Order: sequence, then C-alpha cells, then structure tokens
Amino acid sequence: MALFAVFQTTFLLALLPLRTYKSEVLSEPLPLTPESLKVSVNSTRQRLHLQWTVHSLAYHQELKMVFQIQISRFKTSNVIWVENYRTTVKRNRVLHWSWESKLPLECAAHFIRMRSMVDDARIPKPGFWSNWSSWEEADAQNSLGHDPLFVFPKDKLVEEGSNVTICYVSRIHQDNISCYLEGVQIYGERLDRSVSAFELKNVSFIRKKGTNVFCKVDQGGALGGIVLFVSKVLEEPKDFSCETQDLKTLTCTWDPGSDTGLSKQPSQSYTLFESFSGKKTLCKHRNWCNWQVAQDSQETYNFTLVAENYLRKRSVSILFNLTQRVHPMTPYNLFPKNVRATNATMTWKVHSIGNNSTLLCRLELLAEGKVIQQHNVSIKVNGEYLLSELEPDTEYVARVRCAYTNHFWKWSELISQKFNTAEAAPSEAPDVWRNMKMVSGHPTVSLFWKPLSKVHANGKILFYNVIVENLDKPSRLEVLSIPAPARSTELTLDQCSYQIHVTAHNNVGPSPASVIVISGDPGNEEVESGRVNGTEDGFSVSWKPQSGDATGYVVEWCDGPQDLPCVLQWKNLGPNTTSTVISSGAFRPGVRYNFRIYEISAKRMAHLLEKKAGYLEELAPSDNPQVVMSNLTSHSFTLSWKDYSTESQPGFIQGYHVYLKPKAGEQCPPAFEKTVLPEDSVCCKHTIDNPEQKTFVVENLQPESIYEFFVTPYTSVGEGPLDAFTKITTPDEYSHILIRIILPMIFCVLIVMIICYLKRQWLKEKCYPDIPDPYKSSVLSLIKSKENPHLTIMNVNDCVPDAIEVINKPEGSKIQFLGTRKSLTETEFTKPACIYLLPTEKNYSGPGPCICFENFTYNQAASDFASCGHFPVTPQAPPHQLGPLTSPENLLKALEQNYMNSLGEIPAGEANLNYVSQLASPTSGDKDSLPTNPPEPALCSEYKMQMAIPLGLASAPPSENSSLSSATLLGQGEHYR
Amino acid sequence: MLPAAGEPAAGDSWGMLACLCAVLWHLPAVPALNRTGDPGPGPSIQKTYDLTRYLEHQLRSLAGTYLNYLGPPFNEPDFNPPRLGAETLPRATVNLEVWRSLNDRLRLTQNYEAYSHLLCYLRGLNRQAATAELRRSLAHFCTSLQGLLGSIAGVMAALGYPLPQPLPGTEPTWTPGPAHSDFLQKMDDFWLLKELQTWLWRSAKDFNRLKKKMQPPAAAVTLHLEAHGF
Repeated sequence: MALFAVFQTTFLLALLPLRTYKSEVLSEPLPLTPESLKVSVNSTRQRLHLQWTVHSLAYHQELKMVFQIQISRFKTSNVIWVENYRTTVKRNRVLHWSWESKLPLECAAHFIRMRSMVDDARIPKPGFWSNWSSWEEADAQNSLGHDPLFVFPKDKLVEEGSNVTICYVSRIHQDNISCYLEGVQIYGERLDRSVSAFELKNVSFIRKKGTNVFCKVDQGGALGGIVLFVSKVLEEPKDFSCETQDLKTLTCTWDPGSDTGLSKQPSQSYTLFESFSGKKTLCKHRNWCNWQVAQDSQETYNFTLVAENYLRKRSVSILFNLTQRVHPMTPYNLFPKNVRATNATMTWKVHSIGNNSTLLCRLELLAEGKVIQQHNVSIKVNGEYLLSELEPDTEYVARVRCAYTNHFWKWSELISQKFNTAEAAPSEAPDVWRNMKMVSGHPTVSLFWKPLSKVHANGKILFYNVIVENLDKPSRLEVLSIPAPARSTELTLDQCSYQIHVTAHNNVGPSPASVIVISGDPGNEEVESGRVNGTEDGFSVSWKPQSGDATGYVVEWCDGPQDLPCVLQWKNLGPNTTSTVISSGAFRPGVRYNFRIYEISAKRMAHLLEKKAGYLEELAPSDNPQVVMSNLTSHSFTLSWKDYSTESQPGFIQGYHVYLKPKAGEQCPPAFEKTVLPEDSVCCKHTIDNPEQKTFVVENLQPESIYEFFVTPYTSVGEGPLDAFTKITTPDEYSHILIRIILPMIFCVLIVMIICYLKRQWLKEKCYPDIPDPYKSSVLSLIKSKENPHLTIMNVNDCVPDAIEVINKPEGSKIQFLGTRKSLTETEFTKPACIYLLPTEKNYSGPGPCICFENFTYNQAASDFASCGHFPVTPQAPPHQLGPLTSPENLLKALEQNYMNSLGEIPAGEANLNYVSQLASPTSGDKDSLPTNPPEPALCSEYKMQMAIPLGLASAPPSENSSLSSATLLGQGEHYR
Repeated sequence: MLPAAGEPAAGDSWGMLACLCAVLWHLPAVPALNRTGDPGPGPSIQKTYDLTRYLEHQLRSLAGTYLNYLGPPFNEPDFNPPRLGAETLPRATVNLEVWRSLNDRLRLTQNYEAYSHLLCYLRGLNRQAATAELRRSLAHFCTSLQGLLGSIAGVMAALGYPLPQPLPGTEPTWTPGPAHSDFLQKMDDFWLLKELQTWLWRSAKDFNRLKKKMQPPAAAVTLHLEAHGF
C-alpha cells in the first residue's frame, strides 16, 4: 500500500505542473471547472437545488475540492450569497448543493454561478480558483399564471416563533397595493418595481385553518393572498412509562403536550420502537400505546417513543425489566365473612399473574374515614384475613390493594367494602343525676341521664330501666321501663330514703347499673354563694371538700338563661377533684350561670357544697331601672328603683350612677361630681356602689328649679344605656304659705260677690240711684263758672211749684223711649206712676213736695197715687249717657241727641208728658221753639234736670202747655207746693 | 232541484226521477264537492317556499360560524373580493330581463341543478371542517338542503316537469386541485356560502312568484251544474 501511495503522489505531482503549464500556455479553462450546472427550484421548501459534475478528473481519481457558489437576485450583479462548498469529488459524480431562500423564489429571478479549487492536502500548491461557470437563472415567475397579483409563499408551514418573509408580485405595476395580516395592514420593503417583501417576525399560532395574508389593489379590485400555517412547536413526550398487568401486554403512557395539528398538517404521530427486538408500532392514541410481550420471554425492553410531525421529530426512551413493571389488576370479590361484635373475616380474590406468582395484598380497616388497622397478606389467588379488636355495632370499611411480590412497582387500584360489627351489651352505666323538689308536699325526684356514647352503648339503646328501692323499710322494688329516646323521668316518693338503679338496655343486654341514693328530705341546705369567673374555655369552678369520705363530686348548672326553663346539666367528678372547668357550647356572654357543687358521700347521697354564679363574659347592663320619684320638696326629692332585679342582668351589678342635670350655671349639689356625658353635655353624677341600695335622696336643690335626673346601673364592663332624662321642677319655698292665705281670700271674695249679686237692687239704690243728687253733680260747678256765678242748686223746699200739667191720654199707649225702648216695652205698667220728688238735701225733713207725673214707663190708665213710691230722681236717660253728662259739652250733646231721637221716633202729639224742667231757660220753655233751638235742653218727654233757678231768672213766660200742666198738677194734690 | 209538492201527473213523475238520477250522476264531477282529489302543486310550493326561508335563516348562522373559522378577511362584513376561482359554482346572479324571460320550468330546473351542485360542494366543506361543532352544523344544513332539493323535485313533478338528468361524468365533485392554494380554497368556501345565500334569496322569490301564479282566484269556487234536459 505504501508503495502504491508513493506512485500515486509521484504521478499527480508530475501531472499537475503539466496541466498548469498547459493552462498558462493555451489559456484554456481549468480541467477541474464545474460543468453541467443545473439549477432547479423547490417552491414548497423555497430551496434552490444545484447539481453539477467535474468531468476533468482522472478515472478513479478522488480529490477534495472547494466550490465557491454565488447567488444573485434580480440581476447578476446583485450578489446576495457567496458560499464555499467543500466536498470530495470523483470523476463523473454528480454533486448537489441546495440553498434556502428567505425570499420566496417566485418573487425574484435568481442567478447562480460557481467556480472550484482543489483543496486537497495531497497537492502541495493547489491554491487557485477555476473560472466561473456561466450564470444559471432560476426563475419561478415563469410558472405563474396571468393573475394581476400574486402573494408568496403559498401555504407555507412554519413553527411558532419563526420569521417568515412574504412577498407579492404585481403585474400591473401599481403603487397602491396594500397587504394585510389577519385583517391588519402590514408594511414591507419594495424590492423591485413590481415586488415587495414583508418580514413577519416571531409568528404565532392563530387557528388550525391558518393565518391569512392577502394583498389587494386599493381600487382595482385585484386580490391575492396566502395562508400561512403556523404550527405549535412539537413537544417532547413527558412522563413516558410502560407497565404490565399480566406480563402479556405492556401499556405505555405519556403526556403528549399540545396538539400540533393544522388543516395543512395532521396532529403529531407517535411511534413506539423497541431496540432489542427491533420492532416498532404506530400508536393509535395520542397518549398511550399497547405492546404485545413476545413469547420468547424477553425480560429487558428499551423503548423509544418518537413523536413526529411535518416539521420536527421528538423522541424519548426508557429501559426496563418487564418483571419490575408489574402493576396488578384491581382485586375483586372483597366480602366480610363471620362478622361478630369484635371481629370479622375478610375474603377477596386477585387476578393471577403468570404462573405461581404471588401478590402482596394490603388490607386496611377504616373507621370514620381513618385507617385504624393495616395488614399485609401474601396470596396467590384467594385472600382471607381475620380482623379483630373491632368495636361492637360499628361501621367499618375494609379495602384491599395488591402489588407484585417479586418486585414492588405499584399498588393496584383499591377495592372497598363496608360492613357493620354485631351489637354487644352496653359497657358502661349511664351517667345519672337528680333534681329534687317538693310537689304538693311530696318529695319529687326528677331523674336525668345522659345517653351513652356510641363507644359504650355497643348497639342501639332500646330502653332504660329505673329500679327504686326503699332503704328505710323493706318493700317491693318498683321497676320502671322508659323507652330509649327519653332522657329523664320523674318519681314521687315519700319521706323515706331511696336507692335508685338506672340501667340502659340494648338488644343484647343491660348496662352496668348507675346507683343514686335520695333522702326523703329535700334539705334545702343553705350554703355560701360565691362567684366564678368565665374564660374562653368555660367556667373554672373550684370548691373546698367538706368531708373526707366523698366518693365524688357533681357540678350542676342550667345551660340556658335564667328566664328560660332550665336544661339541667351536670358533670361527675372524681373524689380527689376540687376544681374543674365547665365548658359548654350553650354558654353565651352576658348570661348569668349558677353552679351548684354537690358532694357524693359513700352512701351515694349528694349534699350541696357550694353555689357559684358567674358570667362567661360580663356585659354592660342592657336596660335601666324604672325609677320612681317621690317626696318632692323645694330642696330635695327621692328616687327609688326597688323593682330592679340585679340577678337577671348581663353582669354583676356593682352599683348605680345617678345623673342630675341642674339648671344652667348652677353648681352640682354636694355628693355629686361634675361629669361629661357622651353627647358632650355636662351634668352631675353620683355613684352608688352598693347594688342593693335602690333608693337615693337628691338633696340641696334650689327651689323653683328644673332638674333632670337619670339612674343607670353599672357592671365591671360599663354602665347601662344612656336613656332620656326625667325632668322635674322643685316647688317654690313659700308656696304653702301663699296657699294658706290666698285660698281663704278667694273664698271671701266669692262670698261677697254672691251677696252683692243677691242684694244688687239694694246696692243700686244705695250706691248709684237712678236719680242722682244734684249737689253731687259736676254740672253745677260748670254752670257756675261759665254762665252764672250765682247759680245755685235749687232746693226743693225753696221751689214753689206752680203747676204740673199732666196730660191724661185716654188710650194707653206704649211710649217708645230711645235708648230704653226695650225695657220700656217689656215692662208694662197698668197704673200711672206717681213719683214723689224727694229732696236730696240733708236738711230736708218731712214730706217734701211731691211731683206726680206720668212716667213714660207708666201706663196712664194706672195712675193710681196709691202706688206712688219715693224714688230718687234720676234722669231717664240711657245709662250710657250718665257718665259723660258731667262735662257741659257732653251734656249738651247728649241732650241734643235725645232730642233728635225723640223727634224721629215720637210723634209730636203722642208725647203725653210735658214736664218742664225748672232748669229750662225762659226761651227754652217753649215747646214750639224746640226744633229751632236744639241745643236747649227742652225735652218733650223726658225728665229734665231739675235745677234751682233764682227767682229773677226763673220768670219763664208761661206757655200753653206749662199752664195746663200746672193746673193739672194743682188739681191733683196739695202736698206739692 | 227537488220535485215540487202537489199532485203531479204520471208522466211528470218519470221525468222527475230521470232528473234526480242525472243530478246524482253529475255530483262527483263537481269540484267543490270532490274532497279526495289532488290539491294541486299549491301546498308543495308553499312548503318549498317556507323551507327556503328557513334555510336562509339557518345559513345566516352557519355562515357566521364558518367565516369566523376561516378568519379575517373572510369574516369581515365589508369583504367583497373578486370571484377568484370558484368558477364551477353555479351563479345565482342573472340579468333581470333574462330572469323574467325564463318560464317556470326553466326556473325550477335551474334551482334544482344549482342546489344539487351546491349540496355536493357543501358536503366537501363538511369533510374538511376541523371542529366537530362545525361539522354538526354543516351536516344539519346539508340535510335541510337535501330536503329542499326533494321539495323542488316534488313541485316539478306536481307541475308535470321532468327532473333534469345529470350528464354522465359531469357529477360535481369537491376536489381542490393541486394548484389550488389554501387561500383560493378559502375564497371558494366564501363564494360557496355567498352563492348559497343568493340562491336561497332567488329561490324564495321564484317560489313566491310561482305560489301566486298557482293560487286559484278567490271567487272561482262556484257550484255550476248543467242540468241538461230541463
């Protein structure tokens, strides 16, 4: 061989200079120039395939050569790729090289040329290139149709995350072409007059039907598009494993990951390949595959799972021993056999694996969902195991799973079976307690017992037997049978002592007896009461043992609040116990619980030891007492709330706060202190720290003042709610004295008023007669001062009446008198009145002159003198004119008014009395002149004020009327002078 | 109609009897009394019309789902591409004058042929559909369209028109050619649905027109007896 090599090298060295010489001299192309260069286009894969040969090689000659390949786009001068391809060349051997274009090949013409160079170590100086081959054109555009617009690459399949270059070729050379990716416009690079390219980076999967890219001429309507299929990246199968249930079939499973299927690409396929046997199988399912175990007892397997799609292959391998991958089938026919109260036998079966294979089975026993027993049993086909230490009347679940004994790989699936153990007699005496009371003079015992726990009942309790035995005198045992749900009974006994046995019975038998001894005397022992503090855990109750022979203690309480019927609860405690924690879900904050501690003697009798009361959590009082206010004086009042119960409050009442709001600016009374209420008002507060003191006297108050008070209890937590204040007013200090004086006075005034009313006529006569005394009139002074200083009152004694004319009108008629019309019409007299004008002077004595005239109010027909009475002369003017007559103007006005009224209402001829006043002036005496002299006090019908006129002045010319009157008067009686 | 009461002569009695027999003889020929006769093509035209409207409604929902499945721009409401490919789909659009000049038979024949083709393409669509739900919807629609074809065939038979016979070898097949790109295939699908919609609209119009044409005039039902011999 060495000799051959030497010869070859010599030959080559001799040959090469010769060729070099030839080429230099003859300028011929190198004989190693690539020849027959052919270029083909694979549009689907966007690859250019090149093939060429090197003919110039000697026969059987092999040389290492390097080929430099140039690729131009659009035109030869636009070189876009240069690559040196090294390979070993043989004579007439076709060489291949391919290149993938980023730009779809349809979008541009490509030109390729190459040259070569020997690159063989056997040739010392080979380093020069051959001539370039001629340019070869690869133009896929020639195969396009006549459509105006094309988009490439067509239906390309890529993986997620790839970069894709898209281009369009337009035959219409328009600028207004826009391209869209899934409806969103994209912008690219113009490569040529009719070609543009768009680079899509990191493309993602959108839908199985592919991502749409299309371009359109904006107004021309030409449209072209492609669908880009983006596949999800094929994942490596995860959790690949194989196992067998029967050593005949292997089942391999894996997690396939995401589906890479598209409408262009089916979902990835899975192939299982076993290297030792060289067999393979195409899996029908995405995540599992069966493999038939060969009969030639192959033990070791090397499986390779290959996942594959159009773009990628992924594989995963495992190597295992068949017997180490046995996963037995689920056992079957699991049943309990011979089930008793405390034991049961379980039987089951398994599927055999191979010949004489044993399985390790695990039998588990569960009670209330928890595994309480676990047993391993090795079996071939049939399994059996005796479960012991079971509880009577209890539901259990037995479950079994098995594994291959030779090599543990996995437990089989579980099979479960439920069963109940048989019943047994109750194992413990019921917990019994009693409550004693006197009903109609007989001691009555209420017996309570707690239902036995499931552990001790050992079955369904059907009834309770209560046996009552008289300890004081021999008598027949009394037996009561109480059906099961009952938890109490009541016994009426006499004054003897009794021993009571209580037993619980189920289907199998009775429980041990619970014994309690009851003395006939309820013995309401008085014991000290204490308090107990509640905590989150309950009440911590402790006591002092009294006697040394206690066999136990019982703490008794009611679960509910005091105002509800007592649900008696109790707790049995051992003889050496002196404290316990009483807890109950029924305990609520703010409820007072009373605990009674009993000592159980050796004779099974219970004696009350202590009483305790406590709150789980004390609360502030929820309501305030109803306060009664009494003994209100000007300086104090008493508050009392005796009905307020301190027992039924949500905490231990420690005392009371008395709030008092004095009037503004006033200081707090002594024993009160100033405080600020939550609503920022200031008031006085007094604290009573004795919960049993339910009265309070508020003292040192101001009389005639308004106070507001309010009483609220308080516990360790706080005081009661702030209610409305009650308002009171302290009375006046002297009011009682005033009452003593004012009341009699009012009484006296009333008496006087009544008397006055009854004697009003008399009073009138005495106090304000109808005819006033001229001497007392103010008119006198008026006249005196203005007209005649010598004017004096005419004394009747001084006046000698000339005549009084009385016109006797034949028919009686009512005379309307203005102002008193009503009274006149109402009072109708049948006799003419004869009035004596009595002198009003003090010195008047004896019968005075009597002027008898017919009063308007008198009927003329009844002018009976016998009926004359003495009347004080008073003007017959309306009462309202009496007062104002004191002034001259008023007087004149009143007279004028009277006159005018008379004119209006009294017919001239009807006035039957023409009494001429002595006061009338001579001019005014004429009746006829009345209408022309209205201010004159000349009246046609009324009484005129009688005044004494001096004689000189009283020379009135006698008128016709006046003379007539005088005559008449004279004719009637002389006692008028 | 009946012999008048009274005492007719003996010769008159025979005449009456002959008249009665003649009336009874003619009764089955009175159309208004013939209840077992053929109701004509009216009900089947109505039924076909109703089915067309129902398919229109059904297609609206199916097209929405399918075009979403194709993705944008096919599901865009204003997408109105030029009809690239899809040349083999029967066109529903026709010049109004031409349409008016068609007779009933031609119209029905065109309808029948169109739906036969469309149904075939639609089944191809169904085979390609990737989701099970879409396949169910398409299968349901195909069944309804098959019913419409049968209904049109029924109308044609009722009117006495022969069914068009497909020429051997021209059975439409859904075979996208190898040069057919996926984008053009999507365009075909788009046009298939669009043509279906237009065809259904056109058919509704055709059957409504036919229905009105076949409806007898309201006052045409009169009892007309020819009492020969009276």
